[in-house]
Amino acid sequence: MRTTEGLRQIPVVDHEINNPYFADANLDYVYKAKIEVYKKNFGGILIIKKTGFRNHRIVMTTEFGNKLFDLEFDGDTFTKNYVVEELDRKFVLNVLQEDFKLLLNQNAVVLASYESDSERVFTTKNGNRFDFYFFGRPSGFLNKIVKTSKSREKVAVDFCTLNGRVAEIISIKHFNIQLKIDLEKFKEDENVN
Amino acid sequence: MAQETSMSSAEVASFKQNVIKESKSTKTIRSDFIQFKHLDFLANDVKTSGKMAFKAPNRVKWEYTNPYQYSVVFSEDQLLINDGGTKSKVDIGNSRLFKKLNQLIVNSVKGNMFNDADFEVTFFKSPKYNKAIFIPKDKKIGEYIASFELLFNKDDAQVYEVKMIEPSKDFTQIIFSNRILNSVIDDSVFSN
Repeated sequence: MRTTEGLRQIPVVDHEINNPYFADANLDYVYKAKIEVYKKNFGGILIIKKTGFRNHRIVMTTEFGNKLFDLEFDGDTFTKNYVVEELDRKFVLNVLQEDFKLLLNQNAVVLASYESDSERVFTTKNGNRFDFYFFGRPSGFLNKIVKTSKSREKVAVDFCTLNGRVAEIISIKHFNIQLKIDLEKFKEDENVN
Repeated sequence: MAQETSMSSAEVASFKQNVIKESKSTKTIRSDFIQFKHLDFLANDVKTSGKMAFKAPNRVKWEYTNPYQYSVVFSEDQLLINDGGTKSKVDIGNSRLFKKLNQLIVNSVKGNMFNDADFEVTFFKSPKYNKAIFIPKDKKIGEYIASFELLFNKDDAQVYEVKMIEPSKDFTQIIFSNRILNSVIDDSVFSN
């Protein structure tokens, strides 16, 4: 697969990957969201909060504060608290849920490891498909997650982080549908009141 | 919170008259605003802020400047959006709900929305402010907004706070400050 081209396979030493970016229950994760779907643009505010061991609450509002959706994720399944009529379609919700699952899933069992001089890559199982986690070397920061189908890359999530614990910028790009989601974190001092 | 009591019908009549009079003499408004989005599961409200411009009869521009650049111009059947340089238009002509929400935003700037047949309105007073609470009669709108509250200054009958409360009790609160009335605002401000 293209995802691991140019990398050398190494024995599995770390048996579990850890995604730290939405793992702190004390933090409010608030991002400006810009979404481009089939050449149409819209935006809003994406708010994520860890609410339990494997649980997250995910709310998106317009810039004016009107809720677009309000979902709860327990690590496996999503519960719909509210979805605005225009988005309340199976296809849309499935895409959202798959993306959030990729974004929020904190741990996964490692099946194979690869490395190059600049990164270490871990293959994990996601249902009957595979996800690839890219960690920078020597920083150890999670830089990218790629979700694949049997033979192709389906979704790539890129992270920009300063400290490895909070992602300042997140970019989610789909390869099989025209959908791109860009998230930019609110600055801390600007969101404390 | 300051003590709040219901207005008598005579007080309601005189309050409405003041707001309508003030609204009629208001040709333009410039104001700063701070918006708080309250969600019960968050530690802190989500805070954004910016500037608002209004020009009679119905042009409004909301410009968020912190923590991001985002502006919307409301016109008759369209929203002109500039999202940090990405421009788009939204047609609202065929969505009654969207139209209503926009109308609320435009009208709440002036405060004069007492004749809106879509709402049940009740009035309260306190030593610090007058308050009007609007409850939607339409079920569809009620799914988005449980109530809409406007707080007015006692002295000049201008709106200084707007609060939109959702059925879940989460709310959006917008507080105006540095309001300048009837300065010259060029039409180009509303081109976005």
